Amino acid sequence: MKKLVLLPLIATLAVAAAGSGGASTQSPAAAGSALIKCGKTRTIGMAAPLTGDAASLGLQQLRWAKFFVSRYNRAHKTKKFRLVQGDTQLPNTAQALAVAHQFASNSKILGLVGPAGSQEVQDTVAVYKAGGLAAVTGSATRVALTRSKPGKPRETPNGWFYRTVPNDDQQGARVANWIDKQLKKKRIYIIDDEEAYSQGLADQVQALLSARSGFHVSRDHVSQSVSDFSSLITRIPANTQIVYIPWQLAPKAQLFFTQLRANGKRAIVFGSDGLFAPGTFNAVGSYVSAFPIDFNSAALKAYTKSHGGKAEAFGLPSYTAALVNATAIDKACKDGKASRAEVHKFIKKTNLAKTKTLLGFSVRFLSKNAGASQGPGDMAAPADFAIFHIENGGKYVRVG
Amino acid sequence: MASGPDLPNVPDRPDAVDRPRIGVDEWVAEAEERRERGRGPGALFSRGWGTTPPAVKLLLLIAFAGTLPLYLNEGDLFSYGLYTLLYALLALGLNIVVGFAGLLDLGYVAFYGFGAYSYALLSSNHYGIHWQAEASIPVVVAATALLGLALGLTSRRLLGDYLAIVTLFFGQAFVAFTNNANPKVAGKGITGGSNGIPGVDPINLFGYELHSTKQYLYLLLIVFVLAATGLYFLNQSRTGRAWRALREDPLAAETMSIPVNRLKLMAFAFGAGTAGLAGAIFAAIQTGTVPGNFDISLLITIYAIVILGGLGSIAGPLVGAIVINVSFQFLAPSNDHPELKRWLFYGAIVVLVARIKPWTRAAFVLAGTAVFGIVVHAIVSSVAPSWTAGSVVDAGSTSRQIADWVVIPRGHASFNTIAYIALVGAIVTLAQVRGWWRAVGLIPTLYLVAVVWENVLVEQPAVTRLILFGALLIALMQARPQGLLGTARVEIV
Amino acid sequence: MHLLLASIIDTVRQLGWGGAFELLRNGIVLGSLYALIALGYSMVYGILKLLNFAHGDIYMVGAFLGYGVFTQLGAPLSPVVSIVPLLILTFLAGMLGAGALGVVVERFAYRPLRNAPRIAPLISALGVAFFLENSVLLLTNGNRYNYNAFALGGDPNTGLPGTLFDPVFSVDGRPVTVVQVLVVATSVGLMVALTLLVRRTRLGKAMRATAYDREAATMMGIDTDLVITSTFFIGSVLAGAAGVMFGLYIGETYHFMGFLAGLKAFTAAVVGGIGSIPGAMVGGVLIGLTEAYATGYVGGQWSDLVVFGILILFMLLRPTGIFGARAIQKV
Repeated sequence: MKKLVLLPLIATLAVAAAGSGGASTQSPAAAGSALIKCGKTRTIGMAAPLTGDAASLGLQQLRWAKFFVSRYNRAHKTKKFRLVQGDTQLPNTAQALAVAHQFASNSKILGLVGPAGSQEVQDTVAVYKAGGLAAVTGSATRVALTRSKPGKPRETPNGWFYRTVPNDDQQGARVANWIDKQLKKKRIYIIDDEEAYSQGLADQVQALLSARSGFHVSRDHVSQSVSDFSSLITRIPANTQIVYIPWQLAPKAQLFFTQLRANGKRAIVFGSDGLFAPGTFNAVGSYVSAFPIDFNSAALKAYTKSHGGKAEAFGLPSYTAALVNATAIDKACKDGKASRAEVHKFIKKTNLAKTKTLLGFSVRFLSKNAGASQGPGDMAAPADFAIFHIENGGKYVRVG
Repeated sequence: MASGPDLPNVPDRPDAVDRPRIGVDEWVAEAEERRERGRGPGALFSRGWGTTPPAVKLLLLIAFAGTLPLYLNEGDLFSYGLYTLLYALLALGLNIVVGFAGLLDLGYVAFYGFGAYSYALLSSNHYGIHWQAEASIPVVVAATALLGLALGLTSRRLLGDYLAIVTLFFGQAFVAFTNNANPKVAGKGITGGSNGIPGVDPINLFGYELHSTKQYLYLLLIVFVLAATGLYFLNQSRTGRAWRALREDPLAAETMSIPVNRLKLMAFAFGAGTAGLAGAIFAAIQTGTVPGNFDISLLITIYAIVILGGLGSIAGPLVGAIVINVSFQFLAPSNDHPELKRWLFYGAIVVLVARIKPWTRAAFVLAGTAVFGIVVHAIVSSVAPSWTAGSVVDAGSTSRQIADWVVIPRGHASFNTIAYIALVGAIVTLAQVRGWWRAVGLIPTLYLVAVVWENVLVEQPAVTRLILFGALLIALMQARPQGLLGTARVEIV
Repeated sequence: MHLLLASIIDTVRQLGWGGAFELLRNGIVLGSLYALIALGYSMVYGILKLLNFAHGDIYMVGAFLGYGVFTQLGAPLSPVVSIVPLLILTFLAGMLGAGALGVVVERFAYRPLRNAPRIAPLISALGVAFFLENSVLLLTNGNRYNYNAFALGGDPNTGLPGTLFDPVFSVDGRPVTVVQVLVVATSVGLMVALTLLVRRTRLGKAMRATAYDREAATMMGIDTDLVITSTFFIGSVLAGAAGVMFGLYIGETYHFMGFLAGLKAFTAAVVGGIGSIPGAMVGGVLIGLTEAYATGYVGGQWSDLVVFGILILFMLLRPTGIFGARAIQKV
């Protein structure tokens, strides 16, 4: 009796819940060119993994984006920004697709920060394009997203994907050169964490170093869910000089380091920007490649203070991505009305000074191929990686 | 009315509610009578629903789903309409294995993944093969059904929970194979590693290519209707009856010379084939496939849908999919209606409290909570102002009232943790007391609920919906363990 | 295929006896942790025929509680008490807290469903798991905490191990550290204590009786509710101990750690024969050894598949697990 009353009730609720989105326009194409009143509060969408396996990374990015919004709102009285979060549950891209459709249809959203993962970008950029939203991400670093190479065509339509973080090839080239020219070590053991970000970097460094003479390069893999690295460490030969771990999770790298030392192996650990986490990754004697952050900037100090002493550099480019969107939206809203197409135009012409981006360099986007591995959507020079050395006490010192 | 010998008038045991009705056949017989006797609108509807032929029910579904594009925008159509039907299709397949044949298959999502990857290999740029859908989909379904048959062969040796564990291994092995192993076939890794296979062709049926959400919605609707119809006829046939016998008591079925092993294999094959079909369509919708799409959390969701809808019923998976997917997507942070969610939350609490009988007690609780909140807020803001200095997140028109009622501190980091744990502790204690003590204890608990909502849950909507989902599963299993459309089972000893 | 085999043989030869010993050591240490968690699974299944999917999350909460006490006492950089009382307090916090949580979960999520169809408490267990994992995610913001017992008693500035990681003895140059001996010794001690409890005490007898036939046990005057609550308590205490030990040995504590560990422990319980206590212990160590050797010799790309392949074959050859009894079906 009662239980079958539930059926039409559920159906009605379903329709009501779904139909409550009726305020937005019908099709994403319409939303793309629709002119909306800016009003006092403008909306930016943020697509990042907030739950699931990659939650710690997505939440970092969200914290930085929220930090930007709160600073902006405090500094401005007549205009405010608001973030709409989209939980993409990386590595399951099905939810990223749903978020993309919902953002595209939500006519209030003028800009987009994200998506966070390279796989997500490749699956959802078409949907965002149909809605007129350009993806500005702080973490999708796969080279093929902006630059086509022989055998690997470019994966996003030109002009609809921008990233505020240099790509895998740039980072890999920096690391390989540093190991070769500065550290002058020849026996390298490379371990990736079986995720797209890590595999791309590891492939690049392995290819570059194997091509040079005298190098002894081994490659291994470990899953992100492993915490006990003892058997993996057993495989590392005792005479290895450098272990390169381009991982995403700094706490795992710290575990790896302590276990490596506990097993008596003395190799130097070299990490990528995912490991740049003062306070979490304290592996004395290690090297990390990351963007040339200025530790003395007021914003970084404020963030560290309000987040328990953790600088969490992996999420920093999302701050910059939010800044890019906010600047473009502000320009488009100068006359009180804006459309996504206008915002897109201003994103293309982004030109932000070094002091504002927090990345340690100014941000402009390329519109043509540049250098050996950059393409439209990547940041123009001087955007590049720096090398940091971790000294006694866990202090990060820039050395290159 | 009694069909057996007259039972003496013995009073019920104090714990009669918790115990199964043993040996009381007339209670089973009376189930139908109770339905016939009912007078309210609910009973009328249930009688009407029970007498409508399945074809009419199907037409209602088609009418309802078919008219969705008229009033839903594209984003909502995608997340509410498309995904509900996709999950319903998956749940339908799982229902064959778990609901009809009674086999616990924890590796079901691997078939979904196999279907997606097979379609991706046959219709994408990966190897340059571009078969049209009318050629690739039958191949995919057949291949997945064969795989299901192969896995079903293990069920000959393994029973119950041991079968569960082997199928679980199989599911994990599939993800490990596609993500890590990725052996090189014809020059490139066959599954593309953690990047998966991008650039999958959309469904191309006899030259007609499907692009928009609306088109895929109709495709899924047609596929679901066909699958449900096929399943209905299968259920009415000898095979369906044999499956039900197998589910109720495998040993008795075997002694009745029902070919148990063959039936198990058929169940696996049918379930796998359905999953493969769903996988192919999903790969086309996403224009790509990655290993992360087929993880355990999806398996848990599909299981929850099947259980919720009631094992062994055909409409069950659809009802379960609607309830779970709609609530999931509604609570998602990307569903940008914070005010609506707030109203619904407080509304739901008020409705639940109003169910307390007698109504005086319910009114006491509601009024008491309001007064309690005002008093606490007044005291705290005068004694320690920083504790009420925080601002309400996303409230719109009611932010003033809420700010005056709920304590929202600014800058006290561990407040959230303490409030949340205090709430859980309060609920635990409340469950131990009864009567007026419970009503009195409910007042600070409800206020704590509001505090936790405004301070913690609104800040992190993505995690909140998963917590609510978990609580929903627990509560639902206690309220209705046989699911929404299942039948109450009685243990006859 | 032959390429894979060739590389495996190559690695075996390269690692030699020292490497084989290292992998043996790794497998035993991690395996004893799996065994402790598996015991909880087996005990609960034996009594209620319930697969308690929330058990892994009780392990996770135990690890967090231990972390809380460990850091509140100033460890690892400036502990207010010396090492032995510090460890004892950490253990107590993790074990008792986890035990309490196990009892509460049983009372709320499983007891009302005692007479419902078997699949209902399974779904309820999944609901509890979701609830616990995401509550902890909510409260910790997804951060991964580290006991950092590595630095206990040592100098954090040099990055060299502290007292807990000093070698007790070495074989072929491969060290066995204090913490590893601690983990194995504590696990063995707890398992011995459990076996004594089950075989020698009245409660143990009551537990065995309830596991054999719950209705008959009630009729014999055994308070089955109390027995079931005690089973959950003991199982959860063991899981909490495993959580604290994992924190001390490996260090990492985060909201999702219970999922994978629970899965492996569940595998161990089934491989050993679900419902059997010695089975859980043997199964745990077996899984630990399989993982260690597969990772060590096969390497990251194929090691997971190899482990699953071995387990599937094992289950097909011995369907009821190592110690599982062939169920006699009453007609």
